[in-house]
Parts: sequence; structure tokens; C-alpha cells
Amino acid sequence: MSDAADVSAFLTDGDRSLHILFGSQSGNSEDLAAKIGKKSATYGLEATIHDMDGFDLASLSGMSRVLIVCSTWGEGEQPDNAEDLWQAANSEGAPNLDKTHFSVCALGDTSYEFFCESGKQWDTRFAELGGTRLVDRVDCDVDYEPPAAVWMDSALSHMAAVDGTGAFQSAMVEPIATAIASGGGVGQQTKAAPPSATASAPSVDAGELQEIMEGDRDLHILFGSQSGNAEGLCALIAKKAADYGLVGHVHDMDGFDLASMSGMKRILIACSTWGEGEQPDNAEALYQAATGAGKILTNTHFSVCALGDTSYEFFCQSGKEWDQVLETMGGTRISDRVDCDVDYDSPAATWMAEALSRIACVDDSGTFNDELVEQMAQFAAGDSASGASGDVATVSMPEIQLEASVFRYDADTGQSGMDTWACTIPGHYSIMDLLRSLKATQDGSLTFRDGAENDPTTGVCVNGRLVLPGMTRLCDLVRDKGSGAKLRIEPIAAYDVIRDLVVDYSSYDNLRANSKPWFVGGHREGSYVGKVVIGSMDAVVATELHASNEIASPQLLHAASDSVPYNRSYIGPAMITHLWNRSCDPRISDKSRTAIIECLAATNGIKAETDFASIHRQGNFGANAAKSMLDAKTAVLSHDGYNGRHGKHVWWYTWSIKSSGKVNETTLYRTVLGPMGLLSNALSGVSARMIGGFTRTGRPMFNELLGMVAPPAGIGKMPKQFNSPVANHHEVVSIFNEMDGRF
Amino acid sequence: MPLRYAYHPGNVAHSNAMEVADTMPLAAESLGIELVELEGATSCGAGIIRQANADLQVALNARTLAQAEALGLDIITPCATTAATLHEDLTALRNDSKLMAKTNAVLERNCELSLTGEVNVHHLLHVIVDEVGIEKLAQAVKNPFGFNIAGYYGPNMQQEGACGGDDVFDPDYLERVISAMGGTPVEWSSRTHSVGVPGIFSEENTVLKQTAAVLADAKTEGAELVVSACNLSHMLMDVYQGKAGKVSGEATKVPVIHLTELLAFGFGHYVDRLAQLRTRVMIIGD
Repeated sequence: MSDAADVSAFLTDGDRSLHILFGSQSGNSEDLAAKIGKKSATYGLEATIHDMDGFDLASLSGMSRVLIVCSTWGEGEQPDNAEDLWQAANSEGAPNLDKTHFSVCALGDTSYEFFCESGKQWDTRFAELGGTRLVDRVDCDVDYEPPAAVWMDSALSHMAAVDGTGAFQSAMVEPIATAIASGGGVGQQTKAAPPSATASAPSVDAGELQEIMEGDRDLHILFGSQSGNAEGLCALIAKKAADYGLVGHVHDMDGFDLASMSGMKRILIACSTWGEGEQPDNAEALYQAATGAGKILTNTHFSVCALGDTSYEFFCQSGKEWDQVLETMGGTRISDRVDCDVDYDSPAATWMAEALSRIACVDDSGTFNDELVEQMAQFAAGDSASGASGDVATVSMPEIQLEASVFRYDADTGQSGMDTWACTIPGHYSIMDLLRSLKATQDGSLTFRDGAENDPTTGVCVNGRLVLPGMTRLCDLVRDKGSGAKLRIEPIAAYDVIRDLVVDYSSYDNLRANSKPWFVGGHREGSYVGKVVIGSMDAVVATELHASNEIASPQLLHAASDSVPYNRSYIGPAMITHLWNRSCDPRISDKSRTAIIECLAATNGIKAETDFASIHRQGNFGANAAKSMLDAKTAVLSHDGYNGRHGKHVWWYTWSIKSSGKVNETTLYRTVLGPMGLLSNALSGVSARMIGGFTRTGRPMFNELLGMVAPPAGIGKMPKQFNSPVANHHEVVSIFNEMDGRF
Repeated sequence: MPLRYAYHPGNVAHSNAMEVADTMPLAAESLGIELVELEGATSCGAGIIRQANADLQVALNARTLAQAEALGLDIITPCATTAATLHEDLTALRNDSKLMAKTNAVLERNCELSLTGEVNVHHLLHVIVDEVGIEKLAQAVKNPFGFNIAGYYGPNMQQEGACGGDDVFDPDYLERVISAMGGTPVEWSSRTHSVGVPGIFSEENTVLKQTAAVLADAKTEGAELVVSACNLSHMLMDVYQGKAGKVSGEATKVPVIHLTELLAFGFGHYVDRLAQLRTRVMIIGD
């Protein structure tokens, strides 16, 4: 039983389930489990990935193939999500695993004493419970990917050699490994082999598509993206490409080697348009290079999806330019360009289906076979319908019970309130899934922005957290809350509510338009790339710029500021981050940089933000934005010479710390507020409350008596005019003198 | 075995909020927490110094952290801003070996101190729930509060890794403390919202509206008293509450006290001040 047909038959016979358990603290084990799950399809295995948290230990006894990926935490401890299962596995009720074949990948860090301890413990315990170890455990250090990849191939070959009845057939290990190495196997047949070998597309004539499915099947997908939409679309195209027997490769236009295009037979481009018809930041250099590249695409077929906004004059201009320039370069348009408005999902999906059907019919020689397009579309549809396109294994989570309260608002009646439903729902479902389910089963009038999981306009606020609902799992929000979990889903606060969870983004759009964050390039040094000269940029700077511009949803970031709802002229954190990143871009002109700093320094710019803390706490995107905003404010205050209230506040606060080590509020009040500010506070009762200690219970008896009456109270304690210095104050002065001689 | 911590009083306990300096030691004593004064500790910078020079703030805070490390103790503070700022700078130092080396060089030259990063920073609230325990807290209560109390966290310490075992966005530690102290916790959504403290001198109009919104939300949900885990925010909610009400047109008048006061009064310290507070709860309002 060693020829390809026998291997194929073996890999499709009987139970082919594989269970992958992950114990993860930082996410590495979960990621690795997902990779194993994805690759397992090639071995004819049907993987289910289980979070150890909530996993039913008893179910192990019925599983014939189990892989464990587990990290180690602290001093050899199990990760948080594995702790309960580990306790259960060591209890008297632990199941017998004599029908279970297993192997363990242990993740750890050799700088710790108990390296990979958790994985070692699972390995030992499974054997103690009667399990059969098919492949020796691998212990991986911080750079875990290479050893884990070796282990994964071996483990999957062995797991695949467990037959449909649960018996391990050692003689099959080698043939399976060989078949996979030579490009065979079940999953690859499903994805890229001729239809004759594909059980999921029986209606397709195998013979006719057979020829074009052979040889080079690479599809190159380039994105020019500003907000991430085009990038997300390209990722989706790459995933769908497998249904057409294509191997998708997604490329960021930034840093892309133009010369390499000449060897590509199939190119799809998704490109957004920025500002007044400009290329996105990451596309600018490549586009400039492409315009002078000459006819290097004579053996290339292409199509373009242009993303834009009809409210701008130069709608989809960048995509149109790419469509034109690719043709000028000698490329053959395989499918007409589509120009998509803000709500791009539907037209982009239609374009994608057509473009993929056609470009998949470009054969190994680069010849387009028009007559096969319809069959290719059927093939892909059959493949999709069978579920084979879902090449990412599902991470199953236990069902959770929760109480979901959703904000409701009806503009017609002006009524608002919260509707509450008790739900039992799988933990891996997203907030978007929950909302869709409520709308479908409970109240059809429930209104929210539906869309792709990374659609930046779908943001909502869940228990105070700003989230994109399609990208947020329920189990991550209600962790540790048990059966009493509550979700409070509200519209994001910075915008006017139109209905229920739908808000009006026009205020943000207006602020953005008025801020003019357009890219205006300046002259700079260039380098020869292939036959053309393009502007060059330091790799570190480019990486930092790219990372800081990675904002999943500017609309959501705008709402992260607690100041925005109370100062509608404030341009907000998203715009400030964007402007600041622009000013740090070495490609922009000096004039543009000056204009940006002036915009940031305006009264509705960075100074209007009252507290970075509310932004900083909103996860990574908030922390990154807060850092950019801090840098922007430092630059603006320095630009203003620390004058004005903002500058004086920072200056004198810092000065007072040097003077004593402590804050001196009296100094701040006097120097920052000035006479008019102090008078305002005196007249409004602030000074009286401050001096008297209104609700506060100061020490002097006089103050206590005064506290018995309603405000404003009388004379009480006074802030110290001069602070006593902290111990070893000379050290503080010395640090100041070394690090900042301005104070 | 008492819990021992290096005590950082925060930014305003020495001046505008002396009641914190009065009540923190007594509250700690009743909870079995031993405070070791960090006499050389400076202000954490409250996110203000770094607007002039980020590395300078890190160095000053590294000095404070190194002092605690030298004592072999973690830091405790009743000031949410100090807890969060020290934690943020400590995390930056731990995650950036170059910054750690550069900062240690400054410390060694100027203070003969060095930092390893093993020290941790805790807000009093998190020590109570995570270390002392709610049961022990409840046992120490002699004068239970009979009010509807809104617990205010502010945004500073509600950061990932800076709020103990509490939830960053949906916290309940203050509510658990309020219940144990005999009060009825109020459910309100503004408890982690910023009142805009850093902007009070420069963006007063916006800040007063933010402050008014928080106070009005607490009152709307039935609060008779607000207890603040953030000493700086307390200043706005207290001394600026009248002006905030005038600017916003919202109902803002409600007594606001510090967490340390709630604890000390409940534990039987300053019974005169508790009596005063009860009177204020009865008479203050819109």
C-alpha cells in the first residue's frame, strides 16, 4: 500500500478527526495550533482546535488523534487557560486514554529554570493515562517556529497513519510523508489539483480544466492601502484564489520590486485613493516607478479593483491610474476595473468572482483560455459549496450564557433605552454574530452597521471597550465572568446616533476634510531599482511609519478620546495621529510639514486633548496613538516655546518637581491661570472650595464647622506655598541638570 | 504576617488633598498593611513632565522604583495617576533594554542606585481585593455606610496590567469594596471616563463639561456619594463641581470623597468627619 492512489484512499477512509488542544498565555500556542489545523487538511485530517479552557476532559477518551501545544508560564506553571484542565487531568476521574494517539509540542524559554515544564507534564500525563505517544515531544525555545515545523510534519504524518478505525498503521507513515512531500495529499488535491481528483466538484468536466491547472498557478495580489480596506480585500482574494486552483501571494506595494512583475502571469490590484486623488502612502513610490517602466508586462494578465469615496472629486483616481499604467506597461486586462464606493463589499465581491474565474483560466504559458471561464466558475462554486474553501480550521469554544443589553434609539419618536436578552451562544462567536442572531431571531428592527469583520465603520462600544464587532469574540469579553456575564452594547460616544447602534460619521469626515491630511511629496534622494529611479527610504523609518499608520478603524480611534464629545471642533486622536505620522514621513515637502505642525498646534489640534489616558487604555491601537499624540504635543509645545497655558502648565509643573520633588499647585495656579483665571475661579467658588475644603474633611475645627453648611464654605486649609523637598533632593536636581538643562 | 509595601502618597496628598495623608495610614493599619515611607520619592510626573522630556520622567520614576527595590518592597499608592504612570514607565523600562541601561547609567551617576525591574506597583484598591481580601475588609468595618455610592475609577489605572486582577473596561473592585463597607454600589457607565485633569489649566471649558457629565451620570443613577480612587480627579469633582454645573447646566452637586476616607471612616477612624459626611450627604444636592 504505497502508491499514490492507495495513500489517497487511506487518507479518506473512515474517521479522520484530529483534535488539537492549546494551552496558551501569549497566543503563540494558539497560533501554532491554528497552523497545524490548517496544514492537517493536506494530510486528510479534519481538525478541530480546542482551547484547553472549558475543554471537556472526558471527551478525550473517544478521540483517536490528539496533538497538544502548550506553553509554560512563570516558574514552570501551566498557562491560565490550561490550569483547570491540568487539575482535572490529575484528578481521580481522569479518563482512560488507551485508544488515544498523541504527541506534544512544548513551548518555553531556556532562560527560565523550568523550561517547557507544562508541555513535559502533559506528555507524561497522557502516557500515564494510557495514551500512545506517536512522536516524541519537541521542546521549543523562544524561536519556536523551526523546531515546531519539523515536529508538525512528523506528527501529522503519524496522525494521518492512524486509520479510520483508530488503529495506527506504522507502514503508512513513510508513504504518506512521501506523498505530501511530492505535492500529493488530500488537502492539496482539493485545492489545486485537477477537478477529476476533487470529490467536491463532481459536475465539472475534469479533462478540460486539467491542462490549465498544471504548472505555474501563482496569482500575485498587490494592495495600495491607506486605511487597511484594500489590504483586507487582498487577503480575502488570496483565500478565495485557492478555490480556483490558484496560489495567492499578497504583496504590499511599499517596497515591492517592480522588476519582478515582468515574470508574473497573473496580477490583481486593489488600491484605494487618498486625499485629492492621490495614491496611498504605500503605493506612491511603486506607481511613480511604474509610470516609467516601459513594456515589461507583455505576458501578464491583470485586473484592478479601485476603492474610493464618491464624495470626493477624484473618485477612485488611484485605481484608475493603476488600470491605465498596467495597460501602458503591456499588460492585458482580463476583467474590467470596478470602482467601489465606501460600501465596497458587494461590488468588490462581484468583481472578485469574475476576475478570479477569468484569471484562473490563464495557463502556465500565460495564455488566456476564454472558453473555460464558465467551467472554472462552476468548479470554484462547487469547491466553495463543499466547504473546502474554509481552509482555516474552526476554533471551537464552549457555549456561554450571557445577558446582552443593547442600546435602542428611535429618531422618529425620540425614545431611547436598553433592550436586554438572555442568550446562550458559542464563545467563539463574534459580537457581530450575536447582533445578527438577535436581529434574525428576536427583533428584526434592531439596527447596526453590518459588514466585513474588519469594516472600520462597524465599531461599537461593549462594556466600555471600543471594538470592531466582527473581530471581537464573545469569550474574550466575558472571560472569568461565569454564567452571570453581561454585555452592554452601545453606539460609540463621539458621534450622533442615527438609530440604535448606527452613528453618523459625517462630523469625523468634516474634521478630516478640514484638516487636509493629504500627502504632498517633496524632492528627495533616489536609487536605481531595476531600470528606473525611485525614491528611497531608510528601512527602519519605513517600518515605523507603516506600523504607526496601521489603524484598524480611524472612526473608532476618534471615539477613544473622552474629550471629543465635549469639544466637537477638536480634530481628535485619529486625525492627530495621522497628521503626526505625515509630518514624520521623510517624503513630504517642507511646506506640507510646516502646514501640518500649524494644524496640530491650532486650538482644535493636539492642545484640545485633555487626557491621553482614555486613549492609551484602548488596547494596542490606543497605546500607539497615545504615543504619537504625546510626541506631537511635545513638538508643538517646543515649537511654541512653552508659552500659553499649555506650555506654561508643562513647564512649571516640571520646574516645580525640580524645585522640591513635589507638585506645587500654588505655583501652577499663579503662573498658568494668571490674574484673569484666578479671578474666574474666585468668582465661581472654586477658590473658596479649594481653600475651605468643601466636601473634604480637613483638620482645623473651624473647617469642620464650616463643612456642616452648604457651599461655598469659608476659610480652611491652604495649599502649601512652598513644598518641603523630598529626601536626597539633590539627586533630583542632579538628574535634571544632566538630562534637561532647560529647567 | 503583615503585608509590607513602600508607600508613595501620590501627587497631591501633601497639599491639596491632605485628607489622603490623614486617612491612608489609618486605613492601612486597620487592614494589616504596613507602610514603609518612600521619603525620597518624587511626583510621578502625572504624564505632564513627559510632555517636556519623556526620558526625564522615566529617569525620575526609575529613581523612585529603585528606592523601593532597594527596600525589597513593592510600591503601594492611593493615587491612580501615580500607580498608572509608575507602572507605564516600569513596563517601558522592562521592555526596552537600551532604555533600562541608559536610565540606570543616569541613576548610578546621580543617585548610586540601579533598577532591575523586579519591583511592582499597586494601587491601594487592588491590594485590598487581591491581597487583603474582601472578607477581611468586611470584618474590619465598624461604621457601615448606608448610602448609594458611586465608585469612580478614572481612566489612568484602568490600563492593561495596571489594575490588578480587575477588568480594564468593566471593573468591579470598587463596587465590591463599597458593598463590603456597607454601602450600595451604583451602576453607572462613566466610572472609568476621564474628567480631564491634565487639561484643567488649559482646556477648562472642555474639562468642566467632562467633569459635569461624570457627576451628572452618578447622580442620575442614584448616587448620594461619590468615592474616587483617583486623587487628582477628586479635585475636579470636588472643588470644580459648582463651576462645572454652571458651565454645563447639569446637576453636579454631590459629596465626593477619596477611597482612603471611605475606608478610614468605615473602620472607625475620624468619627467626627464621618458625622460631617453624613450631614453633607443629607444636605448637598441640586
